[in-house]
Amino acid sequence: MSALLYQNADIYLFVAVFLLFCGIAGLIYRRTLIGMLVSMELIMNGAGLNLIAINRFISPDNGYGLAFTLIIMGIAAAESAIALSIIIIIAKRYRHIESGDIKELKY
Amino acid sequence: MSIGESIFLLAIAATMGGALTAVFARSIVHAMMGLITALFGIAGLYVYLNNTFLAMMQILIYVGAISILIAFAIMLLGPDSKKYTGFSVPGKLISALAVAAVSVVMFVRFILTNLKGDPHAVYAVTAKDLGRIFTDRLVLPFELISLLLVVAIIGAVMLSISSRNSRGDK
Repeated sequence: MSALLYQNADIYLFVAVFLLFCGIAGLIYRRTLIGMLVSMELIMNGAGLNLIAINRFISPDNGYGLAFTLIIMGIAAAESAIALSIIIIIAKRYRHIESGDIKELKY
Repeated sequence: MSIGESIFLLAIAATMGGALTAVFARSIVHAMMGLITALFGIAGLYVYLNNTFLAMMQILIYVGAISILIAFAIMLLGPDSKKYTGFSVPGKLISALAVAAVSVVMFVRFILTNLKGDPHAVYAVTAKDLGRIFTDRLVLPFELISLLLVVAIIGAVMLSISSRNSRGDK
């Protein structure tokens, strides 16, 4: 246990796993598609925080975790843009975005 | 407790509270506000991990772009929070309990496993080093990210055009 609280890797990893399971619980719990997209953003942020914490505490002499976190940010931006355009099309077609009632593309 | 540790605990509280609000809030606008709070908290944690560049990128990309995109979508669709009843299907309750059990197991493993890191090592990866990495070794992923963004933009435009053409169908 180091002297300062923020020089301990376990706290960052715990926050990352908390974000991951908040996101998974949101994916199960939410009914609307936008709520599920918000949960996806939480999962991606947990992954980024995990990478940065591991990079800081395990191998502090290179910056690959930082680069991968920036790549995750780019993927999240592209994913949310595509997902929101699809959600808007679904809302125009069905007049709602309840994920349980969209059954036309299911089978 | 020093003032740095208090601010650190405040960032962690903002992250966790924002995540819980984003998941369990009744209104979708409140969920978006919780998401923005969690993203600011994570930016604070990045500052404590000696990554001010990444904290700025977090605020610019996530808070400035993605959250505003979600806000635009909510404003376009209307915040229809009709009859929100949580777990109606028992299968969903069972899956939620499974998720909680797995999270408890992982947390216990985190507690028991002591991560052998060196907290006092010098970690100063600057934006210059990051640019070096992207242009020396990670050239292909960098270019693939730009290709992915172009494809996403063209795909969003094509989806909006095709939905405008097929508006009279239904």
